Amino acid sequence: MLTMKTQETTSAEEAALSKWNLRDLRKIPEFGALVAFLALFIFFAIFAPRFFSLRNITSLLTITAELGIMTVGISFLMVSGEIDLSVSGVYAMAGFIFVTLANIFTFPLGSLVALVVALLISISIGFINSRVVLRGGIPSFIATLGMMMFLRGILLGITGGRSISYAGDSLVPSLLTGIMAYRFRPSHFWFIALVVIFSFILNRTVFGNRVFATGGKRQAAYTMGVNVNRVKTACFMISAALAGLSGAIAISRFNLANVSFGQGMELEAIAAAVIGGTLMTGGYGSIIGAAFGAGIMGMVRTGLVMTGVPSYWYNAFVGVILVIAAIVNLKLRSAVLGE
Amino acid sequence: MNQKQALVKMENIQKRFGKVRALKGVDFEVYEQEVVGLLGDNGAGKSTLIKILSGVYRPDKGNIYIQGKKVEINSPEEARELGIETVHQDLSLIEKMSVARNFFLGKEPTKKIGTLEVLDLRKMNRECMSGLKQVGIELRSPTEFVSTLSGGQRQAIAIGRAVYFGAQILILDEPLRNLSIREQRTILNHIQEARKQGSSVIFITHNVHHVCPVADRIVLLENGEKLGEVKAGELTPEEIAECIANGQMIEKAK
Repeated sequence: MLTMKTQETTSAEEAALSKWNLRDLRKIPEFGALVAFLALFIFFAIFAPRFFSLRNITSLLTITAELGIMTVGISFLMVSGEIDLSVSGVYAMAGFIFVTLANIFTFPLGSLVALVVALLISISIGFINSRVVLRGGIPSFIATLGMMMFLRGILLGITGGRSISYAGDSLVPSLLTGIMAYRFRPSHFWFIALVVIFSFILNRTVFGNRVFATGGKRQAAYTMGVNVNRVKTACFMISAALAGLSGAIAISRFNLANVSFGQGMELEAIAAAVIGGTLMTGGYGSIIGAAFGAGIMGMVRTGLVMTGVPSYWYNAFVGVILVIAAIVNLKLRSAVLGE
Repeated sequence: MNQKQALVKMENIQKRFGKVRALKGVDFEVYEQEVVGLLGDNGAGKSTLIKILSGVYRPDKGNIYIQGKKVEINSPEEARELGIETVHQDLSLIEKMSVARNFFLGKEPTKKIGTLEVLDLRKMNRECMSGLKQVGIELRSPTEFVSTLSGGQRQAIAIGRAVYFGAQILILDEPLRNLSIREQRTILNHIQEARKQGSSVIFITHNVHHVCPVADRIVLLENGEKLGEVKAGELTPEEIAECIANGQMIEKAK
């Protein structure tokens, strides 16, 4: 019973590298998101005349990048078995801090210092989230819901609801999201770079292996010698850092920080992560899938308008796609995991 | 077989959870290349005792010596560094990960790409297959998810992993639970194989028939205290079961 017959004579290495038969294709967690992305792309290219144009593709990328950077962080955290509802709060908070400080720091590289401070504060918020969850022993859903409300409340309290215009130097805005040739923006490339880096970290490093283990079965990971609390703390900080960066990018694009900025975006990011094949329960997920998930959201947003449907319908579409994607991903996963 | 110095010596171990005194001063020794059965009813303190040895819990009182040297075991990580590998019941493998990723969890091999330290996936896949083959387990692929394997295969992989990492002390918590008779037989063979390769094995169970075929010595726990111990062949399994049921040793054992 214990010794399984070797059905194929492939060596261990070949088995690991031969990804090209259909069964193995399903082993790739982002498979579902990739198919859905292509299907939607073809759909919009047919029904929205100007959808498949450079101008639209770049504006789609701009939306996707800002949501996608946040989604990468939250997917990473979800794989470790936690959730972060405060990402949109961190997004707005980081944006405000960045604008406020950049306006004050008139010395050379002032905006860069402002960005660094905003990111450090974001990371600290992630660290506080991790302490509340791990020391306080409460679910991250509650802890980060509290943090989200707290951050929004502070912003509203301090600003009294007033917006702040960006008046700092143009260094960081042009580094993050200044318009380049053919309306590409640096944020597109930051996004792609971050997807590559975090996908690499998750799949090819010791830390990534332990993130999967911690989210897959915390107690088993612990008994195998994994410091699960340290892993989760790092993931909370990654999630907050990327949310903060995303906020700084968006605010650089609008040149304006507003209190209601990014409201509800945490749910969009979670939806994008789930569409990308990441499990709410942890231990399974994909950063590349997250990128395609965010891409699907961006595509629906621009595509719907171009097919002539009022943008009010956006949420309805996303809701349907989310549920279908979750079901399809579940089926794909059961086939692979044999559950 | 029993040398003068114990490989592991646990002395006057006490542990309390709130008002419950789980361990009331237990002494426990393991010698080189010995299979020790740790036997007792549910709630006797078996799991608590071995979780202290494997670094999951810290004792309230008591000392642990390994080869005569006093040690403190503060985490499972430290236990593994001391050569203590544990197969906890139902807890040892992560279903949503591949066999190879599970196999090396906590001790992942890496290679350098420039200055980056990355997982050596090829080595993981290769060594996992050959390491498991050594203990008689053949798998179709190291990239298979654990969730697709049977209970017996999972148990065998967990034991094979512990043997691969050269466990001096191999702790098995209820290793035969929920296994078919044939799978149980195979696991017992793995245990004997592990001893042959130089490991000492602590075999925790509440079923005397599970442990009698392989144990050199059986330690009986009851209510957080050591009831006594029996060398192989001194008592029949039925007599040992009787001791546990009555809460006292049969006299002829001493």
